[in-house]
Amino acid sequence: MATEREALSGAESLAKTRTYGKFRCHNPSCMGRITVEPGVTQCKCPSCGLEFRVAWVRPNFPRIRGPVWDVNRRIAQEAVTEREAAKAAKKEGK
Amino acid sequence: MAKVLMINYEKCTGCRLCELVCSVMHEGVSNPSRSRIKIMKWESEGLYVPISCQQCEDAPCINVCPVKAISRDEKLDYVKVDYDVCIGCRVCVTACPFGAMSFDVIDRKVVKCDLCDGDPQCVRFCEIQALEYVDADRVSVFKKKDAAERLSIAQKEAAALQAQV
Amino acid sequence: MALNRKIAYIDLSTGKIETRPISLEVRKKFLGGRGLDAYLLYNHTEKGIDPLGPKNVLMVSAGILGGTLASASSRTHIMAKSPLTELLGSSNMGGFFAPELRWAGFDHLVIKGKAEKPVYLWIHNGEIELRDASNIWGKTTTETQWAIREELGDEDIKCAVIGPAGENLVRFANVMTGIKDSAGRSGMGAVFGSKNLKAIAARGTMDIKIAYPTDALEYNKRFIDQIVSSKVNQTQGTLGTPFIWGATNSWGGIRTRNFQYNQCEYADDIEPERIDEIATETMGKYHMAGCFGCQVHCRAKYKIPSGPYAGKYDEGPEYTSQGAFGGEPDCKSAVTVLTGNHLVDQWGVDNLEIGSIISWAMELYELGILTNKDTDGLDLSFGNDEALLEMIRRITFRDGWLGDTLAEGGIQASEKIGKNSFSYLIQVKGMSNLHSDERATPALALGIATGSRGSDHLRSRPAIDLYHLPEEVLRKVYSNPVPYDGPLSSEHTSYVGKSWQVFWQELCYMGVDCLGICKYHTTFLGATLPNFEDWSRVLYYNTGLEMSPKDIWDVAERCYNIERLFNLREGLTRNDPKKGDTLNHRYFDEPCRRGAPDVIGAKIDRKKFKKMIDEYYEHHGWDENGIPLPETMKRLGLDKEPSHLV
Ligand code: SF4
Ligand SMILES: [Zn+2]
Repeated sequence: MATEREALSGAESLAKTRTYGKFRCHNPSCMGRITVEPGVTQCKCPSCGLEFRVAWVRPNFPRIRGPVWDVNRRIAQEAVTEREAAKAAKKEGK
Repeated sequence: MAKVLMINYEKCTGCRLCELVCSVMHEGVSNPSRSRIKIMKWESEGLYVPISCQQCEDAPCINVCPVKAISRDEKLDYVKVDYDVCIGCRVCVTACPFGAMSFDVIDRKVVKCDLCDGDPQCVRFCEIQALEYVDADRVSVFKKKDAAERLSIAQKEAAALQAQV
Repeated sequence: MALNRKIAYIDLSTGKIETRPISLEVRKKFLGGRGLDAYLLYNHTEKGIDPLGPKNVLMVSAGILGGTLASASSRTHIMAKSPLTELLGSSNMGGFFAPELRWAGFDHLVIKGKAEKPVYLWIHNGEIELRDASNIWGKTTTETQWAIREELGDEDIKCAVIGPAGENLVRFANVMTGIKDSAGRSGMGAVFGSKNLKAIAARGTMDIKIAYPTDALEYNKRFIDQIVSSKVNQTQGTLGTPFIWGATNSWGGIRTRNFQYNQCEYADDIEPERIDEIATETMGKYHMAGCFGCQVHCRAKYKIPSGPYAGKYDEGPEYTSQGAFGGEPDCKSAVTVLTGNHLVDQWGVDNLEIGSIISWAMELYELGILTNKDTDGLDLSFGNDEALLEMIRRITFRDGWLGDTLAEGGIQASEKIGKNSFSYLIQVKGMSNLHSDERATPALALGIATGSRGSDHLRSRPAIDLYHLPEEVLRKVYSNPVPYDGPLSSEHTSYVGKSWQVFWQELCYMGVDCLGICKYHTTFLGATLPNFEDWSRVLYYNTGLEMSPKDIWDVAERCYNIERLFNLREGLTRNDPKKGDTLNHRYFDEPCRRGAPDVIGAKIDRKKFKKMIDEYYEHHGWDENGIPLPETMKRLGLDKEPSHLV
């Protein structure tokens, strides 16, 4: 029993997958990894363009504090308009 | 150089893991009433202060012990109880200015911090490092640093105020 | 050994107290804490009793690992039939009460009957005494605790108490210990109140013997390293649970203005970093505190910086206070959040439920369903901070028609208010939803719909579903300790494999609740945190009990099924909007109006949702109505319930 107990558990072995210093974009369809320079307070997702305010849990550990409200709101509205236009076009096509 | 247990109570989160590991380490049980360290709390103010033996240089417990059961351990430089000699009179409990000498009601003996043979478990488990085991001269150096920081902040603030005027 | 703690049966009507040991057979079947509470509840209550009557039975317990080296073995569990939902009432709190109860010699209390006048229980080194509580009745939660300590002359006493809300039988009153630790959900405080039980005080100096002390110490160190090295717990240890609200609000996963919006825009003043600033300003750089044995230290200490309660000390606020008094009523002021948090802590009422119910009333006011006449002239508009705080007071003290009505809980209030008010009530099984919005996250929606104590985020929420984890990571987590080779999806907007995740999390959370450990120490907010495999070791080193990860899984499944049996007995049916595994119609009918590009417009698909529930029942071995199949009962050894083993 003793040797078996010494082995890494599944959860412990997963710890290797942890990444510090980056975070994921908060846009569910994007979830792109964002790396930021130390100390920055704002960033832009390179894949989807959403912008976030950045806070630091520790000097090497950033997190998203929240969206840049005006920017992300505009991008979301544009996406909605586009989606609706596409829907309307599809309907007409029929 | 001999090391000491340094307590920075401001950091203490009040979790009492130190009490738990101390009682498991020494007695094999979970029972904080048998721990050598105890966190004193003022819950309504959020103030938590861990209290343990200071390993006094001129220790009142050594001085009052009628049978000379308490002495200074040469190797780790701490105050040690010799249980073969101790008669359990508890005068040391009365004399200790910190309440750090306690009486274990289950084994019916006086107990105090023995630095776990040089690897204090309370320190090892205190993630926030409210407890540290450091060279004796470090304690005042850390305090000097803190004081210096406060001073420099005060000076910066004073300068900023002056600039405003 | 660590298992020699007792169970006490206390009859408040007769004053009779009986203590019994807990056999190894019972331990192996139910472990302790919530699991054994569920067994006791099912066995000791009759069908259809009044939750606020003397026939309701109240269970207070510690987990089987309470007070041991199991990292945050601090949790107290409380169970009874819920006065809010009339189904399972179940609530859990941190702090220091459960370890003290164990040092005093007890693991489980079964409290029956009703005392003639206010009493409190004094539990001390194997002895239990009923004491007069007339002079502490009416006191706030902290006043009560300090008064009991003074009366008994021991500052180390730990108490589980109720405040005015519990005395006033507010159906979502909580039970509290310390400054802010609360068993908040499902109205356990009202059950205390209905029994004239003001408090339970515990103090003990009895050993809990650790089976293998050296191994337990070493393993605990490893366990802690695993827990505190996770990013989520490092964030938690700096910002507390508000960080979750902040992160979810960022993409549109919170509730605001009852259910009208899913993002509280420009809410910078209630973001976690702002709250942290106030804690730093008022309590200094090191302002985080922890429950017993916990190295995560997720709660902040703070003083209210301004306003009528300026200078008052409290702890928190948690996500729920931030949601309840900030985002939900659209108040967006840190001072309001901190003040609201202080009031509910002092008066002993569930912040989540009261915040939701006030926001529901605010929407009804906006719609004209409630008028100035109903509110006695109070302007109950969203964003009115003063009205929000005033409503907390009115509900707690049942002041005025509206305060008294809302104190009865959402469903009961909707029946009184009428006029279609029910359809705006964001609840499941009579319990309000967390201040989160699950329309873009089907897995989370399924979790709240099926939770055994009603809508809830701590029963089965697969929160790691939001992290977009690679499928192989998900598989590593979710195919242990029982194999699973069905589908899993990294997309949290998907419906694929979510039923299994919810089922797995249900058993995972039941597991920690039986052990008496905090959920931040398991696979809740981080995929790398301990679960069944790790618990098997920790259980062995501390108690000597040899249980494989699969054995613990089986216990969890058994206990979850007992909770289901209780709910079915008390009237749960699959599609009942008030007592079923259902969601408010707005989840299906109203698309999200804010948030990230693909969160806007999201809603739950009725058909796919129904299919998820079907799958979820199948994983459980339940029929299409959600009733455990005979073979499931047999497999879990539940075919002879109630079996009265203890
Ligand atoms: S027990 Fe008390 S008196 Fe003795 S050395 Fe320690 S602190 Fe000093
Ligand atoms: Zn992106």
